[in-house]
Amino acid sequence: MSKYDAKYLEDKLRARFDASHVEVSDDSDGCGGKFSVIIVSKAFVGQTLLQKHRLVNQSLAEELKSIHAFSQKTYTPEEWEKVQQQK
Amino acid sequence: MAVLTVENSEEYQKYISADKTTVALFSASWAEQCAQVNDVLNELANILGDKLQFITLDAEKFSEISMKHQIEAVPTVIFFNKGSAVDRVDGVDIAAISSKSKKLAESASSAAATGQTLEDRLKNLINKAPLMIFMKGDRNAPRCGFSKQLIAIVNETKLPYETFDILSDEEVRQGLKTYSDWPTYPQVYVKGELIGGLDIIKELLANNELESSLKG
Repeated sequence: MSKYDAKYLEDKLRARFDASHVEVSDDSDGCGGKFSVIIVSKAFVGQTLLQKHRLVNQSLAEELKSIHAFSQKTYTPEEWEKVQQQK
Repeated sequence: MAVLTVENSEEYQKYISADKTTVALFSASWAEQCAQVNDVLNELANILGDKLQFITLDAEKFSEISMKHQIEAVPTVIFFNKGSAVDRVDGVDIAAISSKSKKLAESASSAAATGQTLEDRLKNLINKAPLMIFMKGDRNAPRCGFSKQLIAIVNETKLPYETFDILSDEEVRQGLKTYSDWPTYPQVYVKGELIGGLDIIKELLANNELESSLKG
């Protein structure tokens, strides 16, 4: 059990990264231990993949202690646009 | 050295938090197999008593502790290092109990003998092979979905790599998170540099950058 839900993570990430788009999905059937997130933010411009993931990990350092499985995708607004076009 | 019987939970806490790695048998008086395991622990205590300590506790009397460690059957043996459970053997598996005890005793003595700090150890481990994967389980038996997916992807590249099972070493498991400032496993290192976890590997794969990244 984890005390976090998708809404909480979404709000926190949106505020922290001034994100233009955040998607959080709870893959744990509500028990709160497994999340995947998509974050689109200008804060990622010019960062390497590793740096982007580190930023996200740091912003959720406390939460990740009790979230068992966490996966993330991080995009700059420009990258996100490309991804959308490919769909 | 003999197997020490735990009388109360303070005593239990003191034993498992000790500097010495602790082998704890969760047992019940009505289960004959427990006596058998207890005999084995007594023998192990004779050989390894200077490096490990052996304790036994009544799983039903200490039901809270048993719950915490999800003891579902007796006997169960749990190995503790400075308060954290680092390994376990469920049921009467004498061979596993002996080999795990011996392995822990060896690592205890090698750490003491070389005076190696944790940082040195971590550095050596991440540089052990050009491509190193820290994961739960090993390549043949990954013990978490993320580790499993990661191994499948890396196997596709046909690149040689080595793995380290973080479930076998709590000190490395916690230490590497801090050392590399990366909170989760699996972790992939190329020539001693952290590449990332599964998400990053997947993204590199999608961008056709995986092989070049893993070659470093």
